[in-house]
Amino acid sequence: MLGWEFPPFFSGGLGVATYGMVKALSPKVNIKLIVPNASQGISFSNMNIIGLNSISAEQLSIESLKFSYVNYTSEQHTLPLTLSTYHHKNEEILRNQLDPYEEVTAIERNLNSIRSAFSDGHVYGPDIVSKIELYARLVSQLASNGGFDIIHAHDWITFPAGLEVKRASNKPLLLHIHSLETDRAGEGARNEIYHLEKDAMMAADAIFSVSQFTKDQIIKHYGISPDKIHVVHNGIDPCPKTRVPHKLRDKLVVFLGRITHQKGPEFLLETVEKVTRVFQRVKFVVAGTGDQFAHLLETSAYKKLGSKFIFAGFLTKARVEDLLSTADVYFMPSVSEPFGLTALEAVQHYVPAVLSSQSGAAEVLRASLKADFWDTDRYANYIYALLKYEALNQTLSGDAYQELNQVTWVQAAEKIINVYQKFK
Amino acid sequence: MPSVCFYFQVHQPFRLKPYDCFKIGHDHAYEDETKNREILSRVSTKCYLPANETLLRQIDKHHGKFKIAYSISGTALEQMEKYRPDVLRSFQKLADTGSVEFLSETYHHSLSFLFSKEEFIRQVGLHRQKIEELFQQSPEVFRNTEFVYNNEIANFISALGYKGILCEGLEHILGYRSPNFLYHPPGNENIKSLLKNYKLSDDIAFRFSNKEWSEWPLTASKFARWVHQAAGNGETINLFMDYETFGEHQWPETGIFDFLSHVPAEIFKHPDFDFKTPSEVIHAYPSRGVYDVHNLSSWADIERDLSAWLGNSLQHDAMERIYGMEREVKETGDERLIDTWAKLLTSDHFYYMCTKYWNDGDVHKYFSHYNTPYDAYINFMNVLTDLEHVLEVNFEKPEHALAAHS
Repeated sequence: MLGWEFPPFFSGGLGVATYGMVKALSPKVNIKLIVPNASQGISFSNMNIIGLNSISAEQLSIESLKFSYVNYTSEQHTLPLTLSTYHHKNEEILRNQLDPYEEVTAIERNLNSIRSAFSDGHVYGPDIVSKIELYARLVSQLASNGGFDIIHAHDWITFPAGLEVKRASNKPLLLHIHSLETDRAGEGARNEIYHLEKDAMMAADAIFSVSQFTKDQIIKHYGISPDKIHVVHNGIDPCPKTRVPHKLRDKLVVFLGRITHQKGPEFLLETVEKVTRVFQRVKFVVAGTGDQFAHLLETSAYKKLGSKFIFAGFLTKARVEDLLSTADVYFMPSVSEPFGLTALEAVQHYVPAVLSSQSGAAEVLRASLKADFWDTDRYANYIYALLKYEALNQTLSGDAYQELNQVTWVQAAEKIINVYQKFK
Repeated sequence: MPSVCFYFQVHQPFRLKPYDCFKIGHDHAYEDETKNREILSRVSTKCYLPANETLLRQIDKHHGKFKIAYSISGTALEQMEKYRPDVLRSFQKLADTGSVEFLSETYHHSLSFLFSKEEFIRQVGLHRQKIEELFQQSPEVFRNTEFVYNNEIANFISALGYKGILCEGLEHILGYRSPNFLYHPPGNENIKSLLKNYKLSDDIAFRFSNKEWSEWPLTASKFARWVHQAAGNGETINLFMDYETFGEHQWPETGIFDFLSHVPAEIFKHPDFDFKTPSEVIHAYPSRGVYDVHNLSSWADIERDLSAWLGNSLQHDAMERIYGMEREVKETGDERLIDTWAKLLTSDHFYYMCTKYWNDGDVHKYFSHYNTPYDAYINFMNVLTDLEHVLEVNFEKPEHALAAHS
């Protein structure tokens, strides 16, 4: 299994999902998980986690490291492009020019430089392209001894590696789509990452998508045959939470996530404007950062809505839990949200959710209030109702909490194993 | 001589228009006039008019010996007057035959008995007035909204002067006894309960077009044979159903109208059988025992209880809020306001909020114009919030007004 984010090194849902999935799979499947960065603390039965940040010479027969890099993308990539997956940084990164058939030897990549490359403290970081390339080479090397039946690769950052291992081993390649470039960069995105995703999905033997919504996107934007796409909703492990009533006189609505176009900050702002027109005693807590943060901050001030916002910045997991345990409403107006695990986390804290219909979470949470991402009138009406009508708030949070019993990693793992079995 | 007693329920609610929080305080018209007109017209074309026509022809054909009864809610009658007077005239034509009886119910098709006896009495009175005015009949028999029934309701209705009441024939109460007799509530022989034969009624209403059903297709002669089996063990076979069974729930293509027009002749093939209206039944036959119902029952869903209207806390909350306004609304003496309020009591508004079975996308969804039960609740509560606002702003209590001016 090829992953990128894995606790404690993760920036979003991918890390949480990879963790939950392998944990549920490990009792039934032997897994070798290769990630750029792993800590020693996590281990499951039947499972071997290899972090390239602490790779050993034994694991990697470094003397024999030979690798021919094949250009996987159908379109040429000689133009400079912005590879800012999650728009953490604003700097432009020039793609390294690669000789498609460059020979790499141990001399070029010694163990230390490998380790340090994956220990730079960034999950993605500015040098993502060379990381991906290096990851692909090392994975290919690690996989060259065989001993596996299936390649299961998570998101585009691992796809070059997946393709390379498939090419070398002739084993079935199963891709897991947690997020698409068309989600992150807008549905018109046709950049290099898009083409990498598309070519990989074309070549793949099967595809897992984290929602029907994402499956539809894959069909619509990537032209992939529906037959080979299997919807496997993410799960959430049962975890009883306690409410901690806040002492504010205002109600709290929580927005949690990167402040990027994908998460719909402009619709958040419009909604805040509309809600506060009819319900004044409310504060919107925005937890997260991103390239749209400054814009959101400035526009909210310009619209004289500053007092309605609390900008909390990026919060640690523990702070997120604290926040959710006091929240009255969870709001996720994403333009395109493959899954949206945070909505389920909110529900775990008995917080009712107002969700964009363009999300996977909306598929698994029937007891939530859903509107098209642009429909801020409807969002506002829903938030108003949840703030104003206590019975609705209670019923929705209770009903949704019950629904979480049907959204577990064990169930997700069963679906995944069913697909594995087709390739045995 | 056993009788067949046909009774059909006709009802249309005043559906609410999409009413979001921005309308509160600004827009005090809650009805979705377009939708109400459209639905009434659709149901009229598919059901009311062709079914009335079919039944009228059968009454003529059998020289008035084929008899039926209706209960038409006040809200449905009001909509017919407003949007489809032709449909109302077609019901009046049926009334003119002398073979059609109109029963009493609550004008607003409400569950008011459970929340306000005062409002219940008012609505029964309003409905009675309407029936007298439109059909020149004074009903002796009552049917409560959705057949909500227990001993207390039967006794209460009896005290209002009614001689009969319709209800569900519940197996767990009847035990070995047949629903094909009249019964009375414990200790009260002034009123007779007509029990729905739910098996034969549902054969028509629910199973008629079901091809998985072992008895499909159901012909009039087969059905009459089943009815005739009651000979010697029954006095009244009560076939109670939604009128929309004909043409709306069971489409014309299923042959339902054909079935309906052959049933009378097939029933009459047995010389002992006739048709009677509910009031004729209670005058013709004695009560054969006590039908003792403590818990509230209804004719809805498999539970046959109140869970379709009062099954979750949203429904309870909405119901309590709307009935909680009664005193204040009535004290205004403003008839339009009272009417607006009362139309919000119609049981359908609460039915739309039902979350039970919602996951199966079942019959409840079929009857609702809302996407989700939550939407139904939110819309209703927004309207209520506005109504509270209207009360507060337009009908300031005199003492408050005085205080403000002094």
